[in-house]
Amino acid sequence: MIKIAKKFIRWKLKIFAKAYLSRVKPLVIVIAGTTNRYWIKEAILQSLNNKKLSARGNKKNFNAEIGLPLSILGLQPNNEKSKLTRWIKILGKALAIAVFAKNKTKYLVLEMAIDRPHDMKYLLSIVRPQIVVLTSITLIYPENFSSLDLIAKEYSKLISSLPKTGKAILNADDERIILLKESAASEVITYGINNQKADYLAKDIIKVADGQEFKIQTPEMEIRTLKIKRFGLHHICASLVEQIILEKII
Amino acid sequence: MDARANGRRRAWQRVKSMFQRTQNINLSPIKTIELLASKIPDVISLAQGIPSFDTPEIVKRAAIKALNRGVVAKYSLAYGLYELREAIEQKLAEDGMYYDFEKEIIAIAGSIEGITASLISIIEPEKNEVIIFSPDYTSYSEAIKVAGGKPVFVNLTEPAYSQRDDWKIDFNDLKAKINSRTAAIMFSNPNNPTGAIFTKDDLLKIAELAAGANALLISDEVYKDFLYAEIGKEKMFSLAQIPELRKKVIRIFSFSKAYSMAGWRIGFLHSDEENINEILKVHDSLVTCAPVIAQHAAMAALDFGGEEIIKFVNEFKNRREIMLNYLSELSDFFECQSPLGSYYVFPKIKFKPKHKIVLDVLTQRQIDSPSWQVALDLLYGAKVAVVPGQAFGPAGENHIRLSFGRSRKDIEQGMARIIKYLKQ
Repeated sequence: MIKIAKKFIRWKLKIFAKAYLSRVKPLVIVIAGTTNRYWIKEAILQSLNNKKLSARGNKKNFNAEIGLPLSILGLQPNNEKSKLTRWIKILGKALAIAVFAKNKTKYLVLEMAIDRPHDMKYLLSIVRPQIVVLTSITLIYPENFSSLDLIAKEYSKLISSLPKTGKAILNADDERIILLKESAASEVITYGINNQKADYLAKDIIKVADGQEFKIQTPEMEIRTLKIKRFGLHHICASLVEQIILEKII
Repeated sequence: MDARANGRRRAWQRVKSMFQRTQNINLSPIKTIELLASKIPDVISLAQGIPSFDTPEIVKRAAIKALNRGVVAKYSLAYGLYELREAIEQKLAEDGMYYDFEKEIIAIAGSIEGITASLISIIEPEKNEVIIFSPDYTSYSEAIKVAGGKPVFVNLTEPAYSQRDDWKIDFNDLKAKINSRTAAIMFSNPNNPTGAIFTKDDLLKIAELAAGANALLISDEVYKDFLYAEIGKEKMFSLAQIPELRKKVIRIFSFSKAYSMAGWRIGFLHSDEENINEILKVHDSLVTCAPVIAQHAAMAALDFGGEEIIKFVNEFKNRREIMLNYLSELSDFFECQSPLGSYYVFPKIKFKPKHKIVLDVLTQRQIDSPSWQVALDLLYGAKVAVVPGQAFGPAGENHIRLSFGRSRKDIEQGMARIIKYLKQ
């Protein structure tokens, strides 16, 4: 009974999310990969909001089969104790948003997560992005994926789903991800810290008291210095992707 | 026979000489009280420092899911699961603390493991003193001794109960005791057992004094979510929010209290990469990694446990009022202020117990302690377990600690028993 209810909810949410997307037509940026999705999403959203562009992204970890359509619709589960009441209310709201929501959101920045083979196919049946950012491939669900190459295979579906006018933004430091270039019909832009061939390359990274300073080398060989108030190389990567979005997408 | 007895004595002396280091380390007095209480039928404990709630369902479900996925049988990295640390970094950023999840955060087996690992990594033969406040968490002094250090108490100043006041740091005492041998200043904030919250100014003053002695700061913030007064509407200030202090501050957090997960033994600590590199070595030697199933549960707690914390805080706020109402009926026996944080009341004792109780399990110091005698009097006379204030250092003497983390029923029945017993 629970399984049937879950399937029904999943199906309904998918329909409502698709209806919303086809009516509102936001530019969809998907961030996928097994790590660092959150900070890249946040950096992109921050940039879009700074430019006063209407943008929103996933709340919490709503990034898979149920969470992704909820994020597209801008919903999250409420506090109702009864699961039945909770989902009836959510489906009611989802329907209202799908049919009546005003065309406000210009950019949807969505984390997309997979935890078993064929998840990607299902997620792509809900939303086809125009931009894909791939972060890294690490073995996060060993019970479902026997190798990293199988995870890469799932992500290749995402890259090959991009339209010719789309863009694949790939982490050049991850060897499996850079191989996915071959799956892309769209333009590919790479970023990285270690791979000198990256289009957007971060170098001369210095940790300072309140963050990190580094230089970005762009495809035009322009070098500029940036400072971020965050620690860790993953924030440098987020910053590189942010620059790509600012310069090549918006 | 004499030869055999002498032989046994010599063997015992040899064994004793093997445990020199642990001779001065004591079991927590809270455990002693709980052990004594466990032997009394129908006893009510207001001593236990754990919340009465069970772990939230969503957290339990996440642990069961991880168990069924077959991902909890192996070690994680010593740092902890990648995904958990990513979630921790996000949570810290919400509170204005920016730490790299890859190199600056460690998942720990409960706060005391993180504290002990930190102390072991920083205590040196020539820099072995650790300043702790009194009253403060009872296990600090023992953890310092385990790490080969020497606890140095700095008293908190008792509030004037007639005014709206709180326990405050005695900076003259702190200045007098900090020196080149001071390895660290360690404190809980909000304070256990007084519930006091140190102000930003006071915390910055501590940091300044520590910097002068090249000492680190260990900030134990396990009760940071339990704030009750106006101050609670804002988030609590932490020294870990100051970027310039990140090399000087080791901040500890545990899921035990905030998410009712005491038995899961899970928490985290964070600091600058340089400090973490050293603490990690000790953490790895002590526990290899935090329990992996608990790490999965902690991830769910961070993602979905926010609403549960709000429920807990609201309930504790009500329980605090209930306990304070009962205490107001005991104004001839105790005086106290309303705690701003944590879930303890720390009333001052104004009476002498009816009997002197001597037990084999107690040290002479405990037998002579007024707070122990009151705690034992209430335990055997009213059948209510409370913690003697002496357990929290010298300035805790003449107080008892009552927990309103216990259930309403326990609080109501326990306090009613105390009133009935004392007013007999």
